[in-house]
Amino acid sequence: MHELSMADAMVKTVLDVAEKNDATEIIEVTIEVGKLTMLNPEQLKFLIDVLVENTLLEGAEVNIVELPVELKCNLCEYTGLADMDDSDHYLAIVKCPECGERNVEITAGRECNVKNIKIEKEEGDEDA
Amino acid sequence: MHKIAEVEIQHDIMVANRKLADRNQKILDDAGVFSVDVLGAIGSGKTSLIEILIQKMDHKIGVIAGDVISKFDAGRFEKYNIPVVGLNTGKECHLDAHLVEHAFGDMPLESIDLLFIENVGNLICPVDFDLGSHIRMVVISVSEGDDTVEKHPLIFKEADLVVINKIDIAEAVGADQDKMVSDVKELNPDIKVIKSSLKTGQGLDEIINIIEGFINK
Repeated sequence: MHELSMADAMVKTVLDVAEKNDATEIIEVTIEVGKLTMLNPEQLKFLIDVLVENTLLEGAEVNIVELPVELKCNLCEYTGLADMDDSDHYLAIVKCPECGERNVEITAGRECNVKNIKIEKEEGDEDA
Repeated sequence: MHKIAEVEIQHDIMVANRKLADRNQKILDDAGVFSVDVLGAIGSGKTSLIEILIQKMDHKIGVIAGDVISKFDAGRFEKYNIPVVGLNTGKECHLDAHLVEHAFGDMPLESIDLLFIENVGNLICPVDFDLGSHIRMVVISVSEGDDTVEKHPLIFKEADLVVINKIDIAEAVGADQDKMVSDVKELNPDIKVIKSSLKTGQGLDEIINIIEGFINK
């Protein structure tokens, strides 16, 4: 259950930052997940919902944003988005969309990033 | 009175793992240890291959045996009187750089020069987690079906060496071993792919030569 450890690490990160910023409530969390991570956003969301019970995160809106796959072609120097069919990871990591070369490097799409949070705090508190 | 504040976090768990993995590799380099991450499906022959390499390779070898319950594989390696650290992942399906760093604490790195880190049998989850090893060797077998590579592309894209094991029973299980090789080559054109049978010994010398080649690079 790969998503569980990731969800757990994310929840801990968010709670830690919220505490350091004297949050009284967490309203919203945005998480970015690359399309080539071996993570299923639906499962991730479910596990976060379970893990946040009885924490400051309970009730917060959790946004999971999927990030696209980007490639660098080692032949034609193309850099940019992979031509990716949502149902098929295979072509995306094999071929350059410009020249069809298979010798490509994946430059984006492996992220698992806790991007930001929106919190409520007492007026007058300084940011930590 | 309350106010709403947005707090930028930008904490990427993958990047955090990669940093730990880089640190692990530095620890290995400083100790003069070359490390091989051994990944693959359950029952593909990872443990058996490492056992053979322990006996055949002329190195001071240590093994970190990662598994949900590691004592079974660790026990197999301990028979050879080499340093072995069992790494229980409990509920987790993969090793990560943090767990491996902990295992280094129990591994006498100064008295070995080659370290095998056997990952949990799984072709999906370990892909996301660099451990800090110098190369990744993926072991699969024909009995998993000849569409295994197509179904799990990323692990082969990221590998340095792929072993397709149990080819002596390919016909019996109706698997096209050459298709498996060409599927790997399509994903990773320059990679070394070895067809092997640990039972007959086919391919073993080649595997050893390739690992030695990486060590001497």
